[in-house]
Amino acid sequence: MTQNSPINIIRKGITIRGSLSGGGDLVVEGQIEGLVDLKNHLTIETTGKVQADIRAEQLTINGEASGNMDASSRVAINASALVSGDIRAPRIVIEDGAIFNGSIEMDVKLPDDI
Amino acid sequence: MANTIIGSSIVIDGEISGDEDLVIQGTVKGRISLKESLYVESSGIVEADIDTQNVEIAGRVTGNIVASDKVELKADCRVIGDIKSPRILIADGAAFKGNVDMDIKD
Amino acid sequence: MPVSLKMFSNKTVIGPSILINGRLSGDEDLTVRGRVEGEIALSRRLIVEKSGIVKANVSVKHAIISGVVVGNITATECVELTPGGRMVGDIASPRVIIVDGASFRGHILMGDVQTLRETRERLEAAKPTATSQVLASSRFSSLRPPSVPRLALGSPLSPLSQRPIPRPLTTLNAPSSPASAEASPEDGSPSDNDDAVVADKPLPPEPPEFMEASKRKIIVKKKK
Repeated sequence: MTQNSPINIIRKGITIRGSLSGGGDLVVEGQIEGLVDLKNHLTIETTGKVQADIRAEQLTINGEASGNMDASSRVAINASALVSGDIRAPRIVIEDGAIFNGSIEMDVKLPDDI
Repeated sequence: MANTIIGSSIVIDGEISGDEDLVIQGTVKGRISLKESLYVESSGIVEADIDTQNVEIAGRVTGNIVASDKVELKADCRVIGDIKSPRILIADGAAFKGNVDMDIKD
Repeated sequence: MPVSLKMFSNKTVIGPSILINGRLSGDEDLTVRGRVEGEIALSRRLIVEKSGIVKANVSVKHAIISGVVVGNITATECVELTPGGRMVGDIASPRVIIVDGASFRGHILMGDVQTLRETRERLEAAKPTATSQVLASSRFSSLRPPSVPRLALGSPLSPLSQRPIPRPLTTLNAPSSPASAEASPEDGSPSDNDDAVVADKPLPPEPPEFMEASKRKIIVKKKK
């Protein structure tokens, strides 16, 4: 997480429809539908539900997410997560127990002769 | 010590090549070419042409065998095919049908 | 031939210099340190070690990849990419684990969400005394081909051994608990949200950039 930027929280019970953008870290315990464009770290907590195209530096999913996700550094799909959509990031981790349907795009270095 | 073992339940249909010993306990159909030794154990079934340095057969082989060093047919093996190798051993109890060529110069 | 080989009679190893080109099938674990191209169909585990290269369509119970796989994998139980594991292709498996350090490009299909949830709940209910960590690791150990009928890739395997497979050391530990969300009061009222980022006004959802995303709608039964 980024140290000096504030952490914003969308609490459980709040639903945002539309597009959401900005810097700083964001923790979602509620719902977002639409588009998220964040400069830092987006965390979707177990109660959180995001149906959106997401762009962020880092994305951590403990709850539900669907849409296209594009992270410039890392995506973590944790055990309690339920995710569908297409994900692109240099590092993507799927924990045991997570449910994911969709495509993943990382840079894969293959041997030359394959 | 052999690095490669094809276990008894395994069936391979295709080509195997490499530079190490190969132990076959399962079934291989196709072609085998090795720079080292091939061991067909009693449970092994090979339907393939074999090109290797050494071969020891205790199982079943159907196909032509070319070995640069030695071919050994052990008791209770069953081999159908031609064998070409400078040294050939056929044990008592081995079943073999085919031609033997020890590559003798005239 | 060394008698000691009998010890390995149920384990197949493809050594580092070996290339197999064709179709390989069987009912035992297969460890690949060399190269296999073509097709692999196993009712047990495929272990692709660091030096191993598999360029094949694979159907298997459980795949553990530390080397390279190019091709599609259909697993009835689990696919794990360990650190250093590299794969390009599609995965269809009820459990997929990708750890940090592994790389992957392709599609993942774990199957119908409701079916998976129900299976999990059933399994968890069946083992009420177990810790959550044990559950997380054994959740799908008894999942069989009929439970994942929606998988698009490959053909179903023949009935499998029910013996649970010991988990490899490479697997991540059980998840850290989602602390803050669970700890917060259930009836969190809007006044709690002084920190919240709120959109200007409730717009109708913008058409997403990629239409497929919005169509891929999840239907979920509330668990709590």
